[in-house]
Formats: sequence, structure tokens, C-alpha cells
Amino acid sequence: MKHNFDVAYIIASLPALLEGLRMTIIVSAISITLAIAIGIAGASVRIFNTPVFALLARGYVEFIRNTPLLVQIFFIFFGLPALGLKLSVFWSGTVALTIWGGAYNIENIRGGFLSVSKGMREAAEALGIDRLRYLWLIALPLGLRVAIPSVLNTSISVLKNSAYLQAIGLAELTFVAMDKLSLDFRTLEMFAAIGCIYLGLVLSLSWAVRRAEWALQRPFRTE
Amino acid sequence: MALLLDNLGFFLSGLEFTIRLALLTLVCAIVVSVLIGLMSVSQWRALRVAALCYVEFWRDIPLLVNLLFIYFGAPLVGVPLKPFTAALLSLTLWGGANGAEIVRGGINAIGQHQFASATALGLKRWEIYRYVVLPQALMPILPPMTGLCTTLVQATSLASLVGVNEFFRIAQIVVERTTMQSGHSPAFLVYGFALMVYFAICSALTWLSRYFEQRLQKTGHSAVAAPRGFKESA
Repeated sequence: MKHNFDVAYIIASLPALLEGLRMTIIVSAISITLAIAIGIAGASVRIFNTPVFALLARGYVEFIRNTPLLVQIFFIFFGLPALGLKLSVFWSGTVALTIWGGAYNIENIRGGFLSVSKGMREAAEALGIDRLRYLWLIALPLGLRVAIPSVLNTSISVLKNSAYLQAIGLAELTFVAMDKLSLDFRTLEMFAAIGCIYLGLVLSLSWAVRRAEWALQRPFRTE
Repeated sequence: MALLLDNLGFFLSGLEFTIRLALLTLVCAIVVSVLIGLMSVSQWRALRVAALCYVEFWRDIPLLVNLLFIYFGAPLVGVPLKPFTAALLSLTLWGGANGAEIVRGGINAIGQHQFASATALGLKRWEIYRYVVLPQALMPILPPMTGLCTTLVQATSLASLVGVNEFFRIAQIVVERTTMQSGHSPAFLVYGFALMVYFAICSALTWLSRYFEQRLQKTGHSAVAAPRGFKESA
């Protein structure tokens, strides 16, 4: 085993790594989208205090936020078949990340909804606007604007934490890298490569967060 | 149920590892946090930039990749690490980066005029930090620091992947062994049990964090906000 840093090795393994990256992005994209949907639904039942559902949403958020994601992934992949719910590696991973991200998004979006002033709600009620239309026409456009930075932060975490799925054998970026590592022992090269890829992904997404924050504040800026 | 009771001692040994790892990490991470946090409010630009790079680097790379890198990368520089040490090091570097942001928030929450007044009164720089900053910053950073404990406890479960015999690894071993012996997998029961145990520990810590926050609000102060994306990190 040589200890010199071999750039050619990284270039040679790029096709495999990009294949892994593709899987990372697919899983993350599906999970992020579904997690936002869960967030909106959960936050809605919480602000309207819908009986039973509000309580369920609260329990769900507390439970997910106070347990490790890795254990959740194992529970879904290895544990759920006992109930007759057998999911593939891909779907177990996607479901786990979705459920996890959804819990954080409920809190993020609820925070956004709470920032919409009470007067709006009262005015909507006085005008006879029903709850669904209040949600769609008033709470979402105003509240989501406030919530978007934190929702995007949660989305970044979903992307980063998709690396945990290598533990159940999903062929995403980290899994591919570890697989190559066990064959060629090019530790430094592999970690430099995936480190840069993750860093690039996360930094460009957080740049997008800052851009989004700036653009969303535009209507409220005075200059 | 009988399965859980039969392996109770085994589970407890794992839990001991988890708690020991979490506590050791916490102590080390606090030291790193204070160091990097002070660097990030330093007068020297170079120190501030170094602190920023440190924080961004460890927070932006998945914790799992960080852990695997330290565990598999350490032999390359001639110091093979035991799984426990590798996990401790990795969690400390990462926890330190998150903690540093909290410490920085605590120091920044103190008005600039206080620094100016203290300097005008002839206090030396370390005296300002000891007698002006420390007493005021300590309480507001307590709630997010307790939040950091919760995240650290959850993060220790990753150590199972490099072979530390902590609680979750024990759960995996029990599942594998029982599956081999009896032919059907007790994963639902055992991993469900693991979830419950983590839930009990972490909700107690979350509750403590809220308690600190409420006590703080009673005195008219507000807690330091947790750094962006930090609660979701593990």
C-alpha cells in the first residue's frame, strides 16, 4: 500500500461515485418533498387544534425528535416486516428519512403559521372564509415565507443524513465509497472525494437558503 | 418480553457504554466549544476565519462520514484508534463545532457597550471575560447546551457502526443472535425497545432544556437560539 495521494485513482472511481451521488440525490429529493408535505399537514392540524390529530402530531414530533435516526432506520427496515410490512432497502430508507424530516418540518412550519398575526385569522373568520381557504390563501403564503429558511435547513440535514442509509445497504454515496475502500484501501482519496462532494452539496444548498431568505424578504424591504 | 429480560444485563452494559461515551464527549466538546467560540469573537481576523472554517467543515460533512474517516483514516498517520476513541474524537470535533456556535451566540448577545464600559473602567481583557461576560452568558447558553446533550446521546448510536459495544450495537447483536438461534427475527421488539430507551433519556434532557429556558424567561432574559440546522444534526 502506497501512501502518496493518487488523484488519478479518484478520477478513475468517479463514475462509481457519481452513481452513488445519483442515489443520494434521488432518495433525498423524494424524502425532502414528502417531508414538506407532512410538515404542512401536521402544522395545519396543530394550529387548528383538530381533536385527536393535533395530539397525534404532537406525539409524533416528540417521539421522532427524541430518538436517533439510525435506530429508526433499523426499526423500519428490520422491524416492520414482523407486522407484514416488508419494504425494499430503497423504500425503507426513503420512508425513514421522510418520517424523520417530516417531524422537524411540522415544527418549522408551525412556527411560520404562528407568525401570521391573530388579526388575520379573526378577519378571515369574520369574512366567513373557511379553514381550508384560510390555510391556502392566507396562512401558507405568509407563514411559509417565514418558515422557508428553517425548512431548507431541515432539508439540508435530510440530505446529509441520507449517509446513514449505507448501514442498511443502500448504494448511495457513502456506501459506494466504503465499498471501494474495502477493495482498494485508498482511504484518504475516497474520503477526500466524498468529503468534497458533500461539502459542495451542502454549501450550495445553504447558499440557496441565504438567497431564498433575501428574495423572500423583498416585498417587506423599505429601500 | 422474556427475550428482553434474559438479556437485561447485556443491555445494561451497552447502556453504560452509551452514557460513558456521551458524558466524555460532552466534557471534551465543551472545552472545544469554548475555545473555538472565543476564537470566533477574537480581535484577530485570522483566528475568526480559522474558527469559521472549523465550524463549517465539521457541520457540513455528515457525521457518519466524519466518524468513518477518523476511524479508517487514523491508521494512515500511524495512530490506529480503538473504536471507542475514534467515536469519542469524532463526536467531540463535531459537538465542539455545534457548541462553538452556541458559545458565540452567548457572547454576541452581550451588548458592545458593556465591553466598552469594562475597558473604560480599566478591566483587562481576561477580566472582562471572567467578570462581565461569563456570568451573563452562562445562563442563556444553558438551554441550547442541554439540547446539545440530547443530540450527542442520539449521535452515540452511530458508534455502533464502527463496532463500539454501545447500547444500539448490543441491540443489533441480540437481534442477530436470536435470529440465528430461533430462525425468526425479534427486530420489531428489540429495536422498538431501543427506541423507547433512547426516547426516555432524550425526552428527560429535552424537558430539562425547556425547564432552563422557562426559568431564564422568568428573570426577563431569553435563551441563545440554537445554531441553524443543529437540532436536526443527528
